[in-house]
Amino acid sequence: MICWSCEQEAGAAEKCAACGALQPPDLAADHFTVLGLPRRFDVDAKAAEARFRALSREIHPDRFATADPRARKFSMQRTVQLNEAWKALKDSIRRAEYLLSLDGWEVGAESGASRPGQGGARERLPVPPALLGEVLELREELADARAEGDDARVQKLARDVRQRADEAMANVASGFAAAEAATDRARALEPVAHELIGIRYWRRFLDEVAVHDEAREEAADTPKGSARA
Amino acid sequence: MMRRAKKPPTPRKDPPVPEALFQISEPGETREKAPCPPGMTRAIGIDLGTTNSLVASVKDGKPVALLDDEGEAIVPSVVHYAADGSTIVGKAARDQLAPRFPKDTIASAKRFVGRGPSDAEAQRKLTPYQFAPAAAGDPVVRFQVAGGRAVTPVEVSAEILRALRERAEAQLGEPLFGAVITVPAYFDDGQRQATRDAGRIAGLEVLRLLNEPTAAALAYGLDKAAQGTFAVFDLGGGTFDISILALENGVFEVKATGGDSALGGDDFDRAIAGHFLKELALPEDAGGDPALARRVLDAARAAKEALTENAVTSITLAPGNGKETTVSLSRTAMEALVRPVLARCTGPVRRALRDAELTAAQLDGVILVGGATRMPLVRQFVHEQFGREPLSDIDPDQVVALGAAVQADLLTGGTGHGDVVLLDVVPLSLGLEMMGGVVERLIHRNSTIPCGAKQTFTTYADNQTGFDLHVVQGERELVDDCRSLARFKLAGVPPMPAGMARLEVTFLVDADGILRVSAREETTGIESSVSVKPTYGLTDEEVERMLLDSFAHAEDDVQTRQLAEQRVEADRILQAAMAAMAACPELLTDDDRRRIDAATRALEAAKAGTDHGAIRRAVEGLDAASKDFAARRMNRALEQGLRGRTVGAVEAEVEKSEAAGDLASRLERAGHAGHSHR
Repeated sequence: MICWSCEQEAGAAEKCAACGALQPPDLAADHFTVLGLPRRFDVDAKAAEARFRALSREIHPDRFATADPRARKFSMQRTVQLNEAWKALKDSIRRAEYLLSLDGWEVGAESGASRPGQGGARERLPVPPALLGEVLELREELADARAEGDDARVQKLARDVRQRADEAMANVASGFAAAEAATDRARALEPVAHELIGIRYWRRFLDEVAVHDEAREEAADTPKGSARA
Repeated sequence: MMRRAKKPPTPRKDPPVPEALFQISEPGETREKAPCPPGMTRAIGIDLGTTNSLVASVKDGKPVALLDDEGEAIVPSVVHYAADGSTIVGKAARDQLAPRFPKDTIASAKRFVGRGPSDAEAQRKLTPYQFAPAAAGDPVVRFQVAGGRAVTPVEVSAEILRALRERAEAQLGEPLFGAVITVPAYFDDGQRQATRDAGRIAGLEVLRLLNEPTAAALAYGLDKAAQGTFAVFDLGGGTFDISILALENGVFEVKATGGDSALGGDDFDRAIAGHFLKELALPEDAGGDPALARRVLDAARAAKEALTENAVTSITLAPGNGKETTVSLSRTAMEALVRPVLARCTGPVRRALRDAELTAAQLDGVILVGGATRMPLVRQFVHEQFGREPLSDIDPDQVVALGAAVQADLLTGGTGHGDVVLLDVVPLSLGLEMMGGVVERLIHRNSTIPCGAKQTFTTYADNQTGFDLHVVQGERELVDDCRSLARFKLAGVPPMPAGMARLEVTFLVDADGILRVSAREETTGIESSVSVKPTYGLTDEEVERMLLDSFAHAEDDVQTRQLAEQRVEADRILQAAMAAMAACPELLTDDDRRRIDAATRALEAAKAGTDHGAIRRAVEGLDAASKDFAARRMNRALEQGLRGRTVGAVEAEVEKSEAAGDLASRLERAGHAGHSHR
């Protein structure tokens, strides 16, 4: 790459090796590349966060407030790209879904998952009916417990579901590790996609519990009797 | 340190420096400036507070507050307008003039900055001010003061800033390079712009507006080289802000912000004043007597301050009937009055922690900011909330100004604190209106800026030739409950069957918090875009109310959203059925037609009701009634050799009625509430 500012060889870093000017970003780069991480599920969270901060410090628009308009634009583009990459990779579920998407998978909402099949068609991976049945049952239990104001039962259900979610996440991690070594990667990723479908439902369930908890906390905050009375 | 760049230009590696500064530091410049005292920079930090303001500057690498002749750092944010047109700012205005000329002496002007005459703040009962009659279409509040003048809050703020500038110039040498002025994290674009304007009116070069909590963290972080995660608990005169910040390796990252823009020490005063008025058997608006309102509020403040040290205090009030009355108040009684007001901090604290995905125990410290945090009750409350002793080694009245001075020093390449960057966040979610009036969020609250989002949408009806894009801001599920930011149209899409067009919408929020939305129809390449200021004109009351509402109404919203979504689904399927029947009448048996007509009527009846479950069942009914017809259409499509999307579309329609898919979609929607507001 030739530097836009000094017209010499800029090198591969964010800033020109010769003059230090901020270089345009590669807008097609994937999130792992943007953060300078290996493309795998297993990410050293601490190191990744340190990397995010270090890059932010280098390229943030505040650092280019008085720079050339082109450098300001590149700083803006790079920072948007960096923030987006960090958002997608710092959360393990988003990271897993993103990794699958790089292999052409889609772990979607209503219809389970899909991946590219033969001749451009998409091969579907439906939501297992057993899982749906289980989720429906748990939901009804949650609704009953909430209607009865039985917080202990809500919390027990939440613990159960949290455990399922944790187990599923552990399976996602081991699934990705197995896929690294597998000869048929597409087949090896199938169980990972299945676990992620499950995790979506567990997540939703736990979000609903969070709404419940918040409502309870909110009720507890309301001062009991006005001091003026 | 700096060289003038030869061709080709070489970017500076030093921290960004305003061009003006760059020029005057060049050797050989003739524009000689008065020298600074040794070790001082001439960039200042200003905390423009609701009740008090301060100015600070960095001296020998350390920020210090600039004092007046009497050794006072604080300038009360009070401006008196005299009949001869002169103004008096500060302590004299507050102590001597406000009691005598309540209408002509403006305190707490910051509460009115960027507000309209109809805003709640201008409608408050217990107020000493007289507002000028609003001219039609005038969006600004004006105070009617002596000499027949009507002044805006921006002008009042400018008077305070001018007084601070003069103090700084007297001590640092004329003129100043510029100033960093702090604003509450919740200040919207209009309020920030108004603050900037006030700076300009006061003759200051505003280098940057800095969020108050960030300034506080800057003061602590750089002085003590702290690393970790901190909460900044800022209870000032008029606003409460809670921010969670991560400090690491020179990056200050705002993890979450929250607060209550109508909560502060003034509200404590008001609660205590209400008590006094009751004791004096006076109406709660002080009988509309501004002088009395002022006296009672001042007495309340004096009592509150006295009770920080003492257990009991007594206050003498002259209600205006010639008689003086002495009222005594104990700290316990005062705390009972204040506690319900203080309890309103609990919700915002919890939400901020939740947004930052942290528990109180995971924090490394809590920083206290604002004069109200001097109260023992407030410190005790913070201790209870966070389970730890808050940090208060920097004077809570000064900490924001000191942080602003540090930032001013950084921006002017001063004494070199190293490389520091502040990563700020979007205060409210940004989204688009979808069919049925529901909101699709593209950028979520507390996303780090600058940031962007891209999403693809499609047409709802056959032969739709344009898109109406409606950009909204807020946390609620329905467009009507959010704030409308902008509308624009993308026209000229060629007629296509519903769902074929591909509209890619991009949201981009830059580092100044300004949103740009662009849309592009991919099959034709037609583009359109609009720039919006996401919080323009939005008061922080509105921001707060919108946030609170989203929590209070999370449940209702789900119901309403489901109904809206089901109605859209019903319309879609009714249209599709009608179009299919019109397109292939020859494939339709009499029996089909009878069943489809019946199912159509049932669906229309259900749609008129409010039971989303009934609508969904009726949609399923129509699906089932048209299943044979759909199968024949699919067969013919296959026979005619149509491939790709057409088959996929028909297939998808058939698949819709499959039990598993339907169950999945039901669960998906049922789970929407919890997911969407987090």
